[in-house]
Amino acid sequence: MHESADEHALERILGKNEEMAEHNRDHFRSLKACTFNLMSAPGAGKTSLLETTFQKAGSTFSSCVIEGDMVGDLDACRIRKTGVAVHQISTGRSCHLDAQMIARLLHAEPLEKTNAIFIENVGNLVCPAEFPLGEHRRIVLLCVTEGDDKPIKYPVIFRNCHLVLFTKCDLLEHVEFDINKATKNIQAINPDVKTMQISAKTGYGIDRWIAWLVSEMTDYREHLKTAKHVHHTAH
Amino acid sequence: MHESAIAKSILEIVEQRLRSIGAAADAQSVEVLFGEFRNVDPESVAFAFDNMKALFQGCANCRLSISTIIAAALCKDNEHQYRPMANNAYRCPACASGIGKLLQGEELDVVNVTVELERMEKEKEQHARVG
Ligand SMILES: Nc1nc2c(ncn2[C@@H]2O[C@H](COP(=O)(O)OP(=O)(O)OP(=O)(O)O)[C@@H](O)[C@H]2O)c(=O)[nH]1
Ligand SMILES: [Mg+2]
Ligand SMILES: [Zn+2]
Ligand SMILES: [Zn+2]
Repeated sequence: MHESADEHALERILGKNEEMAEHNRDHFRSLKACTFNLMSAPGAGKTSLLETTFQKAGSTFSSCVIEGDMVGDLDACRIRKTGVAVHQISTGRSCHLDAQMIARLLHAEPLEKTNAIFIENVGNLVCPAEFPLGEHRRIVLLCVTEGDDKPIKYPVIFRNCHLVLFTKCDLLEHVEFDINKATKNIQAINPDVKTMQISAKTGYGIDRWIAWLVSEMTDYREHLKTAKHVHHTAH
Repeated sequence: MHESAIAKSILEIVEQRLRSIGAAADAQSVEVLFGEFRNVDPESVAFAFDNMKALFQGCANCRLSISTIIAAALCKDNEHQYRPMANNAYRCPACASGIGKLLQGEELDVVNVTVELERMEKEKEQHARVG
């Protein structure tokens, strides 16, 4: 016998990413900032939602944004116009953000002390699902022009999220998108998920979305107070 | 696209295990499990793996063996066990309720690395002769 089967236990292939995500989570904790990872297909309305949210929320809470894009800083420029601080990550060839990229940013540029951090992931319904970033909540935007069957075609991302936003609902009358059917398709994959209808263009549903954000931030602060969590500061 | 990130992670795990053995060993094969409820295409990973394995110490001749794990769930309403599938919108064939609990299908693991000891043994012999 010239070989040996080793006796290691199972090892998670993306374990490194998961470790880095935990590390980022410590950073977010020490910033006391509730972190939201926004994921969707390209163009579903992530940047528009952030623009509208910051306009409508005013000083209800403070925010900063991490913008993940393969190339360019178009979205970062749009956010900057709203007065909210933006940190750009250019992912280059990579079609998703990973925890290592976020960690590199957290180590290179101190983030502002804010109540909320929004991470706009690269537009893609596949890869971002596999790479947790250390966020507190994962949000998927499903645009009503994309079709109510998308949860069936991309089950992994819909299974691993806390909230699904149906976006561009001002277009509902022009397309055949059955909100009920889409909601049921998502719930069949992810029984605990919440869904909401919004339009960044008309402002429809934005108050409810902001109320959800605020309640998540409140819960997060409570959680930080009560949890017997790590006292070491991330570095 | 992220399949190359997955191939790279597998090779890093193999390289790490070779390093933990200490001597200059070669990896012969690595066995991995891919759950069908993950976004991983085995063919793309295999392609990326073969394209980059020469860049990893001791991995140039490493074979990748992939086993797919079929998804299994307990349905939400009645805890029937079933295989959630796209053509059924992931619903239970008996009662049409959705996934309550996913029992398996989310694996993405390295189970085993097989290491060739020949080179190690030859080196040991040489050491013995020299020493
Ligand atoms: N009618 C309508 N159009 C919208 C709405 N929200 C966004 N759009 C339009 O949809 C297009 C894409 O919006 P973005 O906000 O750039 O989408 P995104 O998800 O950030 O896109 P990527 O970052 O490139 O993936 C733009 O032309 C927006 O004006 C909406 O609520 N209603
Ligand atoms: Mg955008
Ligand atoms: Zn750190
Ligand atoms: Zn059932």
